[in-house]
Amino acid sequence: LCVTVSSEALGLGDLLERVSQVSDKLHSLSTSLTNDLNTHIPPMGKIIMRPSMCHTSSLQTPNDKEQALKVPESELLSLIRSLLVAWSDPLAMLLKEAPSLVHPDKSLIYSKTKELQDHSNTLGDGLDRLVHKMGPTSQLISSLPFTNDIGNDKNMRLSNFHFLLSCFRRDSHKIDSFLKVLRCRAAKLRPEMC
Amino acid sequence: VVTNTVCITPPGKPKITSCRSPEKETFTCWWEPGYDGGLPTTYALYYRLETSETVYECSDYHTAGPNSCYFNKNDTSIWVNYNITVVATNRRGTNYSDPVDVDVVYIVQPHTPENVTVLVKADEQGPYLRVSWEKPRNADTSSGWITLVYQLRVKLKNQDEWEEHDVGQQKTFNVFSPHSGGTYMVQVRCKPDHGLWSEWSTTSYIQVPDYITRERSMWII
Repeated sequence: LCVTVSSEALGLGDLLERVSQVSDKLHSLSTSLTNDLNTHIPPMGKIIMRPSMCHTSSLQTPNDKEQALKVPESELLSLIRSLLVAWSDPLAMLLKEAPSLVHPDKSLIYSKTKELQDHSNTLGDGLDRLVHKMGPTSQLISSLPFTNDIGNDKNMRLSNFHFLLSCFRRDSHKIDSFLKVLRCRAAKLRPEMC
Repeated sequence: VVTNTVCITPPGKPKITSCRSPEKETFTCWWEPGYDGGLPTTYALYYRLETSETVYECSDYHTAGPNSCYFNKNDTSIWVNYNITVVATNRRGTNYSDPVDVDVVYIVQPHTPENVTVLVKADEQGPYLRVSWEKPRNADTSSGWITLVYQLRVKLKNQDEWEEHDVGQQKTFNVFSPHSGGTYMVQVRCKPDHGLWSEWSTTSYIQVPDYITRERSMWII
C-alpha cells in the first residue's frame, strides 16, 4: 500500500522518467533475446517472415520524427498502450512455448522470455498510472487480435517464435521512442534530461 | 597472332558495405564497385520498402560522396525494412549486389560530440580538469527523438592506457587530482539509446600547472 501511495504522488515528469527506463530495458532485452535465437534459425525462416506481417502492423503509428512530434500527448500514450496490450497474449504464448523449442539455449531463452514478460507487466502498470494524469483520450486502446497458432512442425515453431520476437523487438523500440518523446515534452522545466 | 588480351566484360558484382543514420532522420548507404569490365560503368541504387511493391531509385548520389546514396528526411522512414540493391551497368551487361535489408533504427551512429573543451579549475582541494562538450548539432535530443549518452577517456600524454568514464546524459565531467605538471589527452564520444558509438572526438590537450612543487616550496619558505 505504501508503494502505491508514493507512486501516486509522483509527478508526471518522474513517472515518465521511470517508465522510459523500463521501456529502454525492455527493448534491450528483446534485442538480446533475438540475438540469442538468431544463431539457430534456418535462413528460409528469416526470408519468408516479413515484419509487415506482425499482428500489430495494422496499427497506424508515426514512422518518422515529423509525424511523431505532431501527435498529441494523450494519443501517443494511447498508441503506446495499444502496442503493449497487444503483446500480452503473444508473450504468454512464447513463455509456454520456450521450454519445448528445438534450440540449444532454450533454458536461457525461457528465462529471458520470462524477464521480458515481467518487464512488460511493470511497464503496463506504469502506463496505467500515466493515463490518470494525461486525460481521457489516452485511455482508448485499439484492439489488435492475435491468432494463437505457432504451427505444428518443430522448425516451423522455432521460426514463428523468432518471427514473433522480431515483431516484439520493433514494437518495443516504438514504445520506447514514443515514451522518450513524451518524457522530453514533460521535462520542459528540466531540459538537461533531454 | 593475338598478343594483347583485353578483358572487356560485364561489370563485377558491387557490394553494399554499410548503411548509417547519424540522427534517426536521414541515412546513407555506401557500396564498393566491383571490376568495371574495362568499360565505363554506371551504378544505380534501387530500394523497396517492406510495406510496398514499388521499387524506387536513389534520388541523391552526390550529398554523401562517391559510391553512396543519401536518403533525405522525406525518403527516410523508421520501423520499416528497406530492401536495397546496387546495380552496375556497362556496354557488355549488368551485375547486381547482394540485397541488404535495413531498418534505420538499427543503424543509428551519431556524429562526434562538438566543442570539446578542457579547462583547469581549482577548488580548496587543488586543481582539477573540467571537461565539457556539446551534442552533435544534427541530433535532436531536445524533442526526445534521439537520446544520447556519453563516454569520455583521459590519459597522460606518456601513458599507454586510456581511462574510460561513462558519463550518462551529462555534458560535463571533472577529473580530480590530476598529475601535477602533466599533459592530459581527452576524447569524448556518444551513443544513442539503442545504437552505435560515434567516433572519438579529436584529442584535446591540457597542461596541468606544477602545483605540488609550488606548494612544497611555499612550505619551505
